[in-house]
Amino acid sequence: MIKILFFASLRELFGKESIEMSINESKVKNVEQLLIFLTENNEDPWLKLVEMRKNLRVAVNHEIVDWDTPVRQGDEVAFLPPITGG
Amino acid sequence: MAIVQQETFSIEDLIKSLRANTTSIGAVVSFTGYVREFDPNKTNKKLSKLHIEHYPEMTIKALIKIEQYAKKNWNITAVQIIHRYGLLEPNEPIVGVIVLSEHRDEAFDACRFVIDYLKTEAPFWKKELTSKGEYWVERKVGDESNTKKWQSKLQDCKTKVS
Repeated sequence: MIKILFFASLRELFGKESIEMSINESKVKNVEQLLIFLTENNEDPWLKLVEMRKNLRVAVNHEIVDWDTPVRQGDEVAFLPPITGG
Repeated sequence: MAIVQQETFSIEDLIKSLRANTTSIGAVVSFTGYVREFDPNKTNKKLSKLHIEHYPEMTIKALIKIEQYAKKNWNITAVQIIHRYGLLEPNEPIVGVIVLSEHRDEAFDACRFVIDYLKTEAPFWKKELTSKGEYWVERKVGDESNTKKWQSKLQDCKTKVS
């Protein structure tokens, strides 16, 4: 299983803080492929993630990473809307 | 060591405790960010509260990493970040950065780096609760270009800003 977390506008969009799902590791090898897998049915609210893709960043196990970073069972993945700290 | 808390803070008290027991500090530079009631770009909206959300498991790690970058890249004695979350009222402090060093140049530059960098690299999100409704704050283009400016200056900062 992997855990996917939502924050701020994404948490409101999905109406929940997180979901858990199992992935096929031969098909989903990195976070980019995970996003493609999650959005391939073109269903709301996942479709919104595709629209936001340019402004989205992704964290794996509490670290902001590049989109080609590997993802494995047991990982915690968070799609981060634009950060507005400070 | 970075601090993330709901409660307010006093930048003066933090400076005092950081300076305690040291005699080699020649310069202290600090930055404090406050909640504004009016944004000059949206003057029709009066802010009643600011809600700050964060990613608890990640926030401290991200802030400590920024403190470490600062220590690695400038000759400074100490650096301290404090950032709040939860519901804040206008005029309350949101974020504080303190840098102590022997000389002022290093402290000024490191402080500027830390506040610029955390604006785009530490997982906080602001929501404005106003008289006209609630809005997630949008990222400013300037914040992004400030981070990019530092990334090109400091080889050590490799996390890309998308």
